[in-house]
Amino acid sequence: MNKITDEMYDVFKAGLEAVNGVCVRASKADLGKAIADVFAQAGIADTCIVETPLMKEAGVVDALKAAGIEVYADHIRKNAETVKGGVTEAQYGIASLGSLIQGRDDIDERLIATMCEYYIGIIKGSAIVPEYDDMFDLLCELPELPNYVGFITGPSRTADIECVSTVGVHGPLCLAAIVVEDE
Amino acid sequence: MASDGLKKEIQNALDNATLSRTLGNFCKTYPQRRLNVYKDVDFNEVQGQIKEVKSYAAQHVDEMIEKFTANCEKRGGHVFHAKSTEEAMEFVRNLVKEKGVKSIIKSKSMASEEIHMNQVLGDDGVLVQETDLGEFIISLEENTPVHMVMPALHLNKEEVADLFTDYTKTKNEPIISEEVKTARRVMREKFVTADMGVSGANVAVAETGTVFTMTNEGNGRMVGTLPKIHLYVFGIEKFVDKLTDARHIFKALPRNGTAQRLTAYLSLYTGATQVVTDKETDEKETKEFYTVILDDPGRRKILEDKEYSQMFNCIRCGACLDVCPAFALVGGHVYGSKVYTGGIGTLLSHFLVDEERAAQIQNICLQCGRCKEVCGGGIPITDLIMKLREENVAKNPNPVKKFALDAVSNRKLFHSMLRIAAVAQEPFSKGKPMIRHLPMFLSGLTDGRSFPTIAQVPFRDEFPEIVQDVKEVKGKIAMFAGCLLDFVYTDLAKDVIANLNSIGYVVEFPMDQGCCGCPASSLGDVENATLQAKMNIEAMHAEDYDYIVSACPSCTHQLKKYQEFFEEGTEMYARAKELGDKAFDFCKLFHMLGGVSNEGDSKEMKVTYHDSCHLCRSLHVVNEQRELLTSTPGVELVEMNEHDNCCGFAGSYSVLNPEIAGEILEKKINNIKDTGADVVAVDCPGCMMQIRGGLDARGIDIKVKHTAEILAEKRGLV
Repeated sequence: MNKITDEMYDVFKAGLEAVNGVCVRASKADLGKAIADVFAQAGIADTCIVETPLMKEAGVVDALKAAGIEVYADHIRKNAETVKGGVTEAQYGIASLGSLIQGRDDIDERLIATMCEYYIGIIKGSAIVPEYDDMFDLLCELPELPNYVGFITGPSRTADIECVSTVGVHGPLCLAAIVVEDE
Repeated sequence: MASDGLKKEIQNALDNATLSRTLGNFCKTYPQRRLNVYKDVDFNEVQGQIKEVKSYAAQHVDEMIEKFTANCEKRGGHVFHAKSTEEAMEFVRNLVKEKGVKSIIKSKSMASEEIHMNQVLGDDGVLVQETDLGEFIISLEENTPVHMVMPALHLNKEEVADLFTDYTKTKNEPIISEEVKTARRVMREKFVTADMGVSGANVAVAETGTVFTMTNEGNGRMVGTLPKIHLYVFGIEKFVDKLTDARHIFKALPRNGTAQRLTAYLSLYTGATQVVTDKETDEKETKEFYTVILDDPGRRKILEDKEYSQMFNCIRCGACLDVCPAFALVGGHVYGSKVYTGGIGTLLSHFLVDEERAAQIQNICLQCGRCKEVCGGGIPITDLIMKLREENVAKNPNPVKKFALDAVSNRKLFHSMLRIAAVAQEPFSKGKPMIRHLPMFLSGLTDGRSFPTIAQVPFRDEFPEIVQDVKEVKGKIAMFAGCLLDFVYTDLAKDVIANLNSIGYVVEFPMDQGCCGCPASSLGDVENATLQAKMNIEAMHAEDYDYIVSACPSCTHQLKKYQEFFEEGTEMYARAKELGDKAFDFCKLFHMLGGVSNEGDSKEMKVTYHDSCHLCRSLHVVNEQRELLTSTPGVELVEMNEHDNCCGFAGSYSVLNPEIAGEILEKKINNIKDTGADVVAVDCPGCMMQIRGGLDARGIDIKVKHTAEILAEKRGLV
C-alpha cells in the first residue's frame, strides 16, 4: 500500500467532517501527543485502549500518561462502562466517506468503539482506500472474511424525534480519526 | 371506497398536528435531499444492480438457504430454517427457555414483529427491550411504527418527554438533545446486563454466511457486541448470493432511507464472534450465534407469482413512503398494518401480516406512480397494488361500482345517460361548473360533492359542424376525446383540432368511441376495462390514421395499455398495439409534428405548470409542453414546488377518499399561489377540474388552462 497523498487526506477529512467527525493527521512520533491533544480539547481525562504494534512503536500509552490521561488497557468490558475515552486502531479507511473500518474480530476493540463517549480511531494513511467500492473489493478479495467487520462513519446519531438530527445516542457522542503517516 | 373505520382513522391522522408537521416537512424536503446525496452515485445503475442481485437470489432461494446455512455453521453459527411464523417463534421461545434468558435487547427487526416476538416472550416473563430510539418511544406508547425508517414521527418532543417521565419516574424536559441523553442512559443499563441480543438483517450473504446490519444510533452494534448470545431473525427475501452483491444495496439504502451517503454504522457478522463472558475476570469466549430464517407460506406465495415476486427486491429503504402524497398526510398508522407501512407495506401486509387490512388500505394508493421512480429495488409498486385491487374486485365486487362501470361499458346507454344528465342537472349544479369523474357521477358516489355541469351539446354532436381549413395536408389524425372532452370541456376539444390544423393535420372523430376504461382499470375492474378496450379499438380503427391524439393523459395511458388485455399473437392484440403505438398525448404529438413556434400575441402571461401523474410518470412527457409554452412570446414559466406531485384528483380517488384528496389539493393550491402566476397550465382535464375547483372554492383568481387552450389563444387560432 502506498503512503496517503495530501489530496486523499483532504478528501477523507472532508468526508469525516461532513458527518460531524474530527480529523487529524500525525506522524508516528507525534501520535501519542495528537491523541492527548484531542482528548484534552474535549476534556476527556481517561481512556480505554487496545495497543497495537503501531501504538507501541509510537509510545502512545506513555505519551497519554505523560499528558495526565488515565489509561486502561485491560478489563475493557468492565472499564468501558465508566471510562469516557476510547482508542483503537482501525484496519482500513474509506477516503470519500471519512469511514473507519474495523476489519477483525477483537472484542476489546469492538467494545471500545461501541461504548465510549469519545472514540478515537487510529488509521494508517496507507490503509485508506479511495472509495466505498474499493473497500468492498478489498473485503471480497480477503482469503477469509473476518467474523466481524464494522464500518464506522462519524459519531452515533438519530433523527427519531421530530426529524431533528442529534449526535450521540447509544454509541460515541464524538469521534476523531487520526491518520498516521506511514511509509 | 374507504370503510367507515378507515375514514375515521384518516380523519384522526389529518387532525394530528405533529404528524402533519413532521411528516409533512420530511416528505416535502425529501426529494431534494435525496437528489443531493446521489451526486456521486448513479441511482438508475444501482437500482438495476439491486434488481439483478436480489431477483437472482429470489429465483434461487432454496440454494441461498442451503449455502447460507452451510457457511454460517462452518463459522460457528447455528441456523434454524423456520417454515412458518409459529415454527420460528417456537424455536425462539425454546432457545430463550433453554439458555435461561431473562432479558433481551433488540435492534430493529421487522421479521420479529411478524412473529410477535416481543409479545410472546413478554408473556413468558422475559424482558424484551427495543433499543432503536424511535422503536423504544413507540414501545412506551404501546403503539406500532408510523414509518418503516422513522417509527415515532407522529409524536412531538413534549409527548416524548411525557412518556420518558412516566418511564423514568423523574421529570423529563421537552428538549430533544436531553431526551436523547435520557434514552442513552436508561438503555445503557439494559445493554450491559442483557442475556441475549436480537437483530434483524438488512442483507444475508449466502456464499459467506454473513449478515449485515445498518444503523445510525449504534444500538445495532451494542446488541451484537455485548450479550453472550446473539440471535438474528430475517426473512428469505434478505438474501444475496455473493458478498460483492451486497455493496449495491448499501449504496441505495442510506441514500434512499435517510438521504445519507452512509449511516454511522454498517456491521458484518460472519458466524460466531468473540464476547467477554465475565467482566471481572475479563474472560473471553466465542459467543453463541443463532439465525432464524423465516420461510413462511406467505413469502412462498409471493415467490409463486412472477409479478409479485418482484417484492423480494425490496431493500426496506422507505423511499416509497417518503414520496407518496397520501402517506405524507396520513402516515403509516393509517396507510399500513402493524408491521409494514406505505405502498410496499400494503403489499407486504397482504402476504405476511393481515390480508384484510391490506384490502382496506390499498384504496389509499393514488396510483400516481411517484414511488416507482425512487424504489431502491425497482419494484413497480403501484402496478402491484393495482393487481391486488383487481384481485380484490374479482373476489368481492362492489355492486354500486359494478353498476356504474357496467353502464359505462355500454356506450349508447352511457352517452344517453349523459345527455339526460345535461338536461336534468340544472337543479343540482347551482351554477357551479364542478364535476367529478363521469362514471362516478353516474354511480351516485358523488354524495356531498358538487355536481358536474355537462355540456348542453356534446362535442360529438358539434364535430360535424367544425370547419377544418388546412392548406397543405400532411396527414390525418383521429381524435380520442374521452368523457371529459366529449361531454364537458368541448371547447378544449375544438382548441386541440385548431392547433393540429395549424400545422397541417386534418382531424377526424370516430363516433363509436366511448369511455377509455381508465376508471374501470383504476378500480380494479378488468372485465369492464377489457370491454371498453375492445369497443374503442374497433371504433378508432387506428389502421386508417397516421396518429391518434388525446388531450387527456389518463386516456392516452389507457389506450397504450390496451394490448395488456389481449393475448399476444391474436388479432385484437395486434390492433391494440397499433392503436397504442399511434396514440399520443396532445402536447407530445404537437411538439413532435413541429408545433413549436414563436408565434403569439406577445401579451404577458405568467404561467406555472402542473405535471399530471400519467403524463409525467407513465408517458414520460415533461419537457415538450414546457418548450411549447416558453417558446410562445409573452409567456413566462415559473415552476412551482412539487410540480409533479398529484393534485388529488386521481380519477375516482377524489370521490372515494375525499379527505386525503382535499388535503393534497390544499398543498397544490398553496404551491400554485406561491409562484404568483396568473395561469396554471395543465395537460389533463381531470387535474384541470380538480385545481379549478380548488381555486374557485377559495376565491383565488388564478386561471387553469390546458396547454392546447393557451397555445390556441396566444396564436389566435380560436
